[in-house]
Amino acid sequence: MHGELKHGEVEVARRHLADRTLSKMRGDFARLVFLASTRNYNTGEYHHDGLACMFTESVAGRAIASCHREVFRRLVLCPLKELVEQLELYASSNCLGPSELVRIWERLQPYRATVPLECSPLAARFFVSNVKTALAILQSRQGRAHPEPLSA
Amino acid sequence: MRTLAFFLLAMVIILSACLFLSRRGRRRDSDGEAYGIECETAGSFAWDPLTSELSGRIFDREDSDFVANETSREITRQFRRARTALALDWLRAVRSRVNQVMRSHFRASRGNDDLKPADEIRLWFEFLLFQLTSGILYLVISVCGPARAAELVGYSLGLAAQLQKVTEEALPAGRQVAAELMNRDQEPKNGNAVS
Repeated sequence: MHGELKHGEVEVARRHLADRTLSKMRGDFARLVFLASTRNYNTGEYHHDGLACMFTESVAGRAIASCHREVFRRLVLCPLKELVEQLELYASSNCLGPSELVRIWERLQPYRATVPLECSPLAARFFVSNVKTALAILQSRQGRAHPEPLSA
Repeated sequence: MRTLAFFLLAMVIILSACLFLSRRGRRRDSDGEAYGIECETAGSFAWDPLTSELSGRIFDREDSDFVANETSREITRQFRRARTALALDWLRAVRSRVNQVMRSHFRASRGNDDLKPADEIRLWFEFLLFQLTSGILYLVISVCGPARAAELVGYSLGLAAQLQKVTEEALPAGRQVAAELMNRDQEPKNGNAVS
């Protein structure tokens, strides 16, 4: 009975998070980065002040974890072409040029920290490989759009 | 008689080649990284519903064609190498999953009086067929890449699903073990069923 009640609460919290916060973000990459950023690096637990105040800490954590898995699943299963578009959208929504994003992400590789904890190693490796390829594609598009001037 | 001998010889050669490639592949996967699109080491094989769904993406030709159109030959080569390594890892995950189900069935069937010999023979035949198909698949992926192996993947997955069904039907205890195995693996995930 208590389990069912909690599951219902998690679902309400999940919908609240999706409708009020995630729907306002542009693209799944922005959502993924946001959701992963609410996770504690040491404990792997999620924390969101607003959601925890409305529900409980535990319900909020489970709701965020569920949204995180869902967004990650969408991105990992989308074609590479769409992933590149998502990355471009993410760059533009952060007022960054794609080349700037590529430069920073290739060095810091922050996308590695966006993988949900329960995800299988295979899915994690697939995601990382796809993001790296998407970054390489963005870089080569930039290279074609702004070719470096030939030195005299 | 002579045809049968040739057939058996061909089977033995294919199985030996698959075994050799499978061991070699495992070693090679742990090798280096280049150009940023790396083939990372395999690690442990946890199974989640996403692993089943991933096959559609890993073996899809669309991504490969897109990369070839958008980037240099070097990056395309790196991408194909990475996808091949991922496809082989995926295949190992499926094989290990099927082996796990068979081991559970074997454990549960020991000392069980309700066993039907016909069902058991069918099960072991299908298991052998699965091993053979996945061995050939390993060979095809290694040589031709995942995009060309897509059809064989469908067949192999069909056999794996059939095996699971047969183990469940063959033995009530086996069904229970299989169900426990599935539940234990899927509980913390998003609740999608393994296809």
